[in-house]
Amino acid sequence: MPRPTNDELVARWKGEPAPLLPLLHAFHARDGHLSEDALRAVSAGLRIPIADLFGTVTFYHHFSRDAGGFDRPRVCNGPVCSMRGAEVLVASLRAAGHDPMTMPCPGRCDEPVPVIHRGTVLTGRTAGTLVSEPSPLPPTPPDGVEECVFAGIRRAGRATLAGYREGDGYEALTRAVTAMKPEQVIEEIDRSGLAGRGGAGFPTGRKWRAVADAPGEPKTIVCNADEGEPGCFKDRVLMDHDPHGTIEGMALAAYATGAVRGFIYLRYEYPETFEILEGAIAVAEAAGLLGDGILGTDFSFRLMVRRGAGAYICGEETSLLNSLEGGHPFPRNRPPFPVTHGFENLPTVVNNVETLASAPPIIVHGAEWYRGLGRGDHAGTKVISLSGDIARPGNYEVPIGLPLRELLHDWAGGPPHGRTIQAVTMAGLSGGFLAGADLDVTLDEPSIRSKHSFLGAGGIMVFDDSRDMIRVTRESMEFFAEESCGKCFPCRIGTQRLVERLEGKGPATLDAWVDEVTDLNEVMKKTSACGLGQAAPLLTESLIRYFPDPVREHVAASGNAAGAPPAARLGPDDAGPPEKG
Amino acid sequence: MKRNGTATTNGAPRPEGAPRTKGVQLTMTLDGEKVAFTRGETVYEVAERHRREIPTLCYDPRLDPFGGCRLCVVELEGARNPVASCTTKAEPGMRVRTRSAALEVQRRILMEMVASENRDTDVDPMHGYASQEMAELLDRYDARTGRFEGALSGTSRPDDDNPFIKRDYENCISCYRCVRVCAEQEGDYAISVMNRGFHTQITTEFGGLLKDSACTFCGQCIQTCPTGALGDLKALANKDVPGETETTRTICPYCGVGCTVDVMTRGEKIVGVLPAMDGPANEGALCVKGQFAFDFVGHPDRLATPFIREDKSGQLRPASWDEALDFAAGKLRRVVKDHGRRAVYGIASGRAPHEAAYMMQRFIRAGLGTNHIDNCSRA
Repeated sequence: MPRPTNDELVARWKGEPAPLLPLLHAFHARDGHLSEDALRAVSAGLRIPIADLFGTVTFYHHFSRDAGGFDRPRVCNGPVCSMRGAEVLVASLRAAGHDPMTMPCPGRCDEPVPVIHRGTVLTGRTAGTLVSEPSPLPPTPPDGVEECVFAGIRRAGRATLAGYREGDGYEALTRAVTAMKPEQVIEEIDRSGLAGRGGAGFPTGRKWRAVADAPGEPKTIVCNADEGEPGCFKDRVLMDHDPHGTIEGMALAAYATGAVRGFIYLRYEYPETFEILEGAIAVAEAAGLLGDGILGTDFSFRLMVRRGAGAYICGEETSLLNSLEGGHPFPRNRPPFPVTHGFENLPTVVNNVETLASAPPIIVHGAEWYRGLGRGDHAGTKVISLSGDIARPGNYEVPIGLPLRELLHDWAGGPPHGRTIQAVTMAGLSGGFLAGADLDVTLDEPSIRSKHSFLGAGGIMVFDDSRDMIRVTRESMEFFAEESCGKCFPCRIGTQRLVERLEGKGPATLDAWVDEVTDLNEVMKKTSACGLGQAAPLLTESLIRYFPDPVREHVAASGNAAGAPPAARLGPDDAGPPEKG
Repeated sequence: MKRNGTATTNGAPRPEGAPRTKGVQLTMTLDGEKVAFTRGETVYEVAERHRREIPTLCYDPRLDPFGGCRLCVVELEGARNPVASCTTKAEPGMRVRTRSAALEVQRRILMEMVASENRDTDVDPMHGYASQEMAELLDRYDARTGRFEGALSGTSRPDDDNPFIKRDYENCISCYRCVRVCAEQEGDYAISVMNRGFHTQITTEFGGLLKDSACTFCGQCIQTCPTGALGDLKALANKDVPGETETTRTICPYCGVGCTVDVMTRGEKIVGVLPAMDGPANEGALCVKGQFAFDFVGHPDRLATPFIREDKSGQLRPASWDEALDFAAGKLRRVVKDHGRRAVYGIASGRAPHEAAYMMQRFIRAGLGTNHIDNCSRA
């Protein structure tokens, strides 16, 4: 294929919805980086001020502005991969003649260490042993556990249309468009108790109804597949091995709300998933399950995939919408909410992959069935991505309300031999740590929130008793500092200051250190504009709560480094922060 | 950045006292006091109308509310966390507290954090109109404690040798007022935000110089900057001129728009120009000429007497006012006599004041008897 010209690339995307990201990716792939010439062509073609476009391109981790940048291998430096030797892999790649760079967690924690090289995901521990393989299937659950979104995922051929249809595939959509009113679909989802599985937990039926009732057209369904939370890789397995489940869920949401267009906003780090989704959408369109006149009715729904470019904040739904629209991906101020002012300021459903994939089984089996999958009073299931120091890492679809220890020990085989579990994270990194007696929680929001944390998107990383929790916290906080968008002061400055204090650069007395860190925690939790800044301090808060001795040793060591007598810097008689005015 | 669908408050009439609305009077509770508001007003606007003096750093009343600095947070009954009052619309029945011990602690910590990222916390007021905002809040919250010490943010651009705008980003707090005023008020989109988090940096396209960007050097970014990260180089060149700065409210002499300005003087010397935020024609806006081009007033090359061009030699020679006016009047009379009154056409200078323009048209119409009169500002 001849190298496309600037004009050809611009012409290819100019008339399409949400054209900026795919156009930038096209230039990035053609040139190996985003040159000034390319950005000027995009600016002129899409009528975006060049300064704005330049600033926005620099926001994304994976867009390179330097020649050859696209060819640089990107190595995960997330908490789990860091424990598994990411630094060794970086050195190995460098020795093999590459120019590696690090990247935040690309969602392959069940199979460390992942590398993205020229748009392909590889895994391995050294440059010579990297392989490209499909993402791992979820481990089999214990006998007698009924699943919802994973029920058919391990069957061979499930990712094909024929394989999907061997189960109940597209049965829900067929039933909906031929025998149900949109309101009946919403009613069924509402009664099932399904709530946002991306972490926010907003009732899905209520969201769909709000969009159905909102004035303004066209309406849009956005699938949030920007699974950026470190330690979360559940949406990837759902889309890789059961893409039609998500597609059918989106079509159901569109039918229920009256939407005519949909986007899957897929994170950059899942290139294989992009191919799988594009293929599945084409097949579904050809089969009359998407596009115009679905299943012979007058219901039409056009579905498109848009790839992000490496920005955790784009998993926040209003940042995602700004990114999709081609704007700077700062979060929006809310209200108004996306249900009334979403994509292009029109009513929009933004749902997580797992949420959407839950909808078809609910319509087929009924709301009561789904409610009954939970334990006790809890409705439904939740996929937990489990990784770190655990015998069988992977994605587990658990009944909501399952005791955490049951998952860790009975389902996943417990910590490595001879080790004990020191701490686990919740909500990927966003929920901070649970440790000690607090590991007795059940996997549901009320239980976990009572321990000052939250379940969120369901990523749990396990750290055994050999791990340095100060280092784990520092590397985790470095992630939030790297990913802070820079819009609001408490998060932009606070994440940086917490990293510095975890690096040993803060006050050298324990009281002053704890005083500053606690103040930063509180202000970030209370005044940050979005969930990133509100959640990041849960790391340092739980560190101080569960690990006072390592904190004390850490501050004492930094005191030594600063050249002060350590004895004067510790203990209850310490005078406190001398510099406080 | 501003696509949140919130109706802007720009241009909405700012109610004085208790506003009236059609039908039912909307009310909310502010610090225990029942107050009226009009639909579309933000909690911040209602609170400021009632003189609550809520602190802000990213707020400029001319711009869309941004919600970045979080200093304006207030406690809203029923909300888990404090909310930014600048981005929260007033709603009937809302119960809001603008001051509490907890809020004041949060604001103080935020100010300590802001102070920790800058090289300087105090800058010369000649930097610009809003340049003292941060320093004043640091004083108000007693926040010069040195806590949260760490890396400084921002990279200054001493390499940008433009004569008007100082780009000293080591004093930048990333409130983005400059970027927003450039886009929302000027429509120039010359500057933007690059990178993320603590590494955000105000930039032009490709990080270049202002003269190579879409910048028109209107100086609006300087005047909205709350820290002096951006500074008025023309005014700063005069910062050591002795004497107290006096300001004189006047109209910009350059064109027919009639922008209101506050001219700063020390003794007889003009040391700088500030835009008047309450100027009816400009509401704080100025262009490069009104903002920066005041050197001509005291320039040695400026003409001090009239000149007459000699018929024979074509050379200019100094003349007295009486002589020059008699000469001009004689020539005009001659033209009218020889060619008729319609042979004369008057164009008034846009730089002349309104009264002079009036006199000019009287002179052309009544004095010379023609309606051939215009003003260059129409061009």
